[in-house]
Amino acid sequence: MTRLLAVVERDLRRFVRNPIVILSSIVMPLLYLIILGSSFQGTLKNLPIAVVNMDNGPQSIRVMERLQALEAGPGYIKVSRESDQGKAVEGIKNGRYKGALILPHDFSRNILKGNRGEIGLFLDNTETIASETIRNVVTAGMSNIEVKFIPVRERNARAIVRYIELYKKVDYDQSLIPGIVIMAIFLGTLTTGAFNTVMDKFLGLDESYLLTPLSKRDIVLGLVISGVIITTTIAITVLFLGSFISGIHLWNILSPVALLSAIIIIILSILGLIGMMFVILGRANHPRIVGVLGGFLNVIFFFPSGAIYPTDSFPGWLKMFAKIDPETYSVHALKTILFKGENLTAIRGDLIFLTIFALITLTIATLTYKREL
Amino acid sequence: MFAIEVNELIKQYGTFSALKGVSFSINKGECFGLLGPNGAGKTTLIRILTTLLKSTSGKATMMGIEVGKDNTGVRKLIGVVPQAMTSDLDLTGLENMDIYARFYNMPKKDRKARIDDLLERVGLRDRRNDLVATYSGGMRRRLEIAKGLVHKPAILILDEPTIGLDPQSRHVVWDLLTNLRKEDTLTILLTTHYMEEAEFLCERIAIIDHGEIVAIDTLEGLKKVIPTKDIVEIVIKGTAGERLIEDIKSLPMVRSIIFADGKLRISVENGAQAIPLLLDKIETSGGKATSILLKQQTLEDVFIHFTGRPIREEEARKVNFLIGAGLPQKMGR
Ligand SMILES: Nc1ncnc2c1ncn2[C@@H]1O[C@H](COP(=O)(O)OP(=O)(O)OP(=O)(O)O)[C@@H](O)[C@H]1O
Ligand SMILES: [Mg+2]
Repeated sequence: MTRLLAVVERDLRRFVRNPIVILSSIVMPLLYLIILGSSFQGTLKNLPIAVVNMDNGPQSIRVMERLQALEAGPGYIKVSRESDQGKAVEGIKNGRYKGALILPHDFSRNILKGNRGEIGLFLDNTETIASETIRNVVTAGMSNIEVKFIPVRERNARAIVRYIELYKKVDYDQSLIPGIVIMAIFLGTLTTGAFNTVMDKFLGLDESYLLTPLSKRDIVLGLVISGVIITTTIAITVLFLGSFISGIHLWNILSPVALLSAIIIIILSILGLIGMMFVILGRANHPRIVGVLGGFLNVIFFFPSGAIYPTDSFPGWLKMFAKIDPETYSVHALKTILFKGENLTAIRGDLIFLTIFALITLTIATLTYKREL
Repeated sequence: MFAIEVNELIKQYGTFSALKGVSFSINKGECFGLLGPNGAGKTTLIRILTTLLKSTSGKATMMGIEVGKDNTGVRKLIGVVPQAMTSDLDLTGLENMDIYARFYNMPKKDRKARIDDLLERVGLRDRRNDLVATYSGGMRRRLEIAKGLVHKPAILILDEPTIGLDPQSRHVVWDLLTNLRKEDTLTILLTTHYMEEAEFLCERIAIIDHGEIVAIDTLEGLKKVIPTKDIVEIVIKGTAGERLIEDIKSLPMVRSIIFADGKLRISVENGAQAIPLLLDKIETSGGKATSILLKQQTLEDVFIHFTGRPIREEEARKVNFLIGAGLPQKMGR
């Protein structure tokens, strides 16, 4: 026990002598929140679209009214009229429009005859998120008013409506909070735990403690404990500061039980990620490897986790990956606790996954730790 | 029982043999010096003895405990001062010592007294609360030595302990080791490049080259074997007669003598002791010495005799140009 605590203390003391690392682990996720939160907000408002009305019948006038209402109300789109389809498509090509809506000349007639009224929608596919948003906004807008006439399938419409809600500014900011907490956790686990063994190897300091009676378990567990202490502190700071920035006063709305649940999720996530870092970086002996791998791992674990984009919209293979990505479970669990006000039973599945993940990685980490030069 | 017993130790790095069957034993309380040029395998040998590396084959025991069988047992027994500096720059000298002592489960009371004493002895007590990052190279090295001693090891192993120390600090370390040996039975195994160090501290010396022990004896014993002896040059007034030269030759420690340009050039076993006897002979023959020069045998001579090369011959470490030192050691080097 004395030995283990000495390992923990050595690591903690070294870490607090590097306050700049702690500070950036807190500030970077917060900056991420601010940048991502506001940039999505920017692109998702005032998307310019062209409308070509070749029909001018009663039904097309209702569509036009609806589009104008979307423009004046939530302001997702900015409608311009074009006289013909060629000009509208040209506008998309040169970037003036992000999309074009074509009402064919038989639009009203078809609907009156009881047939399908079809609207052509051209989208700028290079701007994935913008075009996706336009499609959703337009189809949802149409379906709300003209359910009887416009043949938008119900199922789609509902899914789309949810997207629109997600992208409302305040909601989006707040929905990022679990994600940036996880990002803080990732950064914390990347710069504690296994990273210390890499640095020690690089500087040749490992020789000193490998000479002592410290066991593998003392060394690995000691570094894990100090890593958990440091990273938990960082993650909770980011949780509260991030919420504060995006306008939630967590200390008012979070019950003690919810706070405790959040801390449990955070600690379990940290244990798993620290274990994973040990498994991946355990044999590395140059900090540059950590730099390269760290950036890569952050991206591949963070983006599929549902932290910034719902996992529902992923293609099959990415969904598969999201299923084994521990950050997916951390994000889901935190969202459930923070936003849905649920208790631990609602996130039982997440907790089980995170616990098993942590146990497996920490066991492998201890077994594979190379206790010699 | 020997304090350290090494039997046919072999270490291969891939196809390269760093140790090619090394055997020796060290008595309890003995100070044993290991000398060898750069790349001879000293550090490799020490790393195997201190459980940091696995040997390819062979056996080593420390106080009867077999290395590789009960490594924890060995680790509790030995104090090691590695060749590279291993103290934490982000910690103070005192923190380094204290945490290190706790790795050995030393109780708080013992720790405090022992650390105070050691820091005092290596002259770092005043600086104990400063970060090691602010220490000079020599101070950091002295801290390493104090650290290796903190848990009162029965065997102390030092890999070039005084490298980079000024002569004064070197004497501080020598005195420290000498005093510790007076107070307790302490077995010491050290590698060094310094003749005076081996002479001052060690009872026996082994010379290792290309992973093999080429000689093992007391320093005097080693010196006796080599043909280059101490050289005494004596300038005399007038010429030296046949008589005088025969007289000097008859002295037991004299190996050879040449007279040229009014200068006697005498090769002797122990120059310092021979000088008064030589002067005696010159005086009784009626001659007069005007100047004397003693060129003592150096460790360099001993070295060159046994290894065929000077003690400091740098050998570049092979690092793969593509992956550098960035991959696991086995693949990277
Ligand atoms: N990890 C390794 N892989 C391959 N070869 C190695 C490795 N470590 C050491 N060697 C080689 O083994 C030989 C012995 O090295 P060692 O460090 O034991 O020498 P040394 O006697 O301590 O030298 P020095 O006086 O320079 O400290 C050298 O030729 C060295 O290049
Ligand atoms: Mg060496």
